[in-house]
Amino acid sequence: MSLFTIGRLCVKIAGRDAGRTCVVVETTGDRFVVVDGDVRRKKVNILHLEPLEQLIELKSNASHEDVKKAFVKMNLPVWETNAKKAGAKPLAQRMVKKAAKVKVPKTEKKAKEETKQ
Amino acid sequence: MPAGREKSGRFRRIFVKTPGGKTVTHYRQQKNSKAHCRDCHKVLSGVPAQSPALVAKLPRSARRPERPYGGILCSACMRKAILSKVRGVAP
Repeated sequence: MSLFTIGRLCVKIAGRDAGRTCVVVETTGDRFVVVDGDVRRKKVNILHLEPLEQLIELKSNASHEDVKKAFVKMNLPVWETNAKKAGAKPLAQRMVKKAAKVKVPKTEKKAKEETKQ
Repeated sequence: MPAGREKSGRFRRIFVKTPGGKTVTHYRQQKNSKAHCRDCHKVLSGVPAQSPALVAKLPRSARRPERPYGGILCSACMRKAILSKVRGVAP
C-alpha cells in the first residue's frame, strides 16, 4: 500500500518549492499525486516527496481553503499568491506628475522670445 | 622585452599564427571560472560564468536556479541536504 494517501503530510524535495510542507489532496495513478499547502497546488511525482508521519483528515480533491484551515490549526505556513493590484500607484502621486507636465501655450512662448530680443 | 603585465599571469596567452608563418603571442583577459557545487564539486548549470559586472546587470532569476541552495548546491546535493533536515539525521 502506498504511503501517499489523501491527507498525508509531505515535504517537497525538488524544485522551487523544495523544503516546504504540503499535503496530498488527490491521487492520480500510482506515481503522481496532487499536493497543496505551503506549495503551489500542482500534480507532482511521488519521487519528489518525502512523506511525514502525520495524516490530516481531508476529503478527496479538497479545496485550498480546506487545506488552509487544516494548516492553520497545525501552525504550519500556507502558500498564498498575492495578485498584483492594478494601478498600485497612488492617484495623488500621478496628479502631481501631471501638473508638472502642463505645457505652455505656443503664443506665450513666442511673446517671451520677442521680449528677450 | 615583454611588458610587466604580460609576465604577471593576469592575462591568458593565445598563440596566433600570422600570414607570414610566425607564431605570435596575444594576451587576452582571463575567463571567469564556472560555479561548482559546494559538496560534490560538480559544475553548476544555470549559473552564468561571466564577469561580475555583467552578472550584476542580469535579473536575479537569471543568476542562479530558483530553488533553495540554488547556485550553491547541485540539485542532487540539495535533495540530500533537505532530506537530512527532514529526517533529523546529520548530513
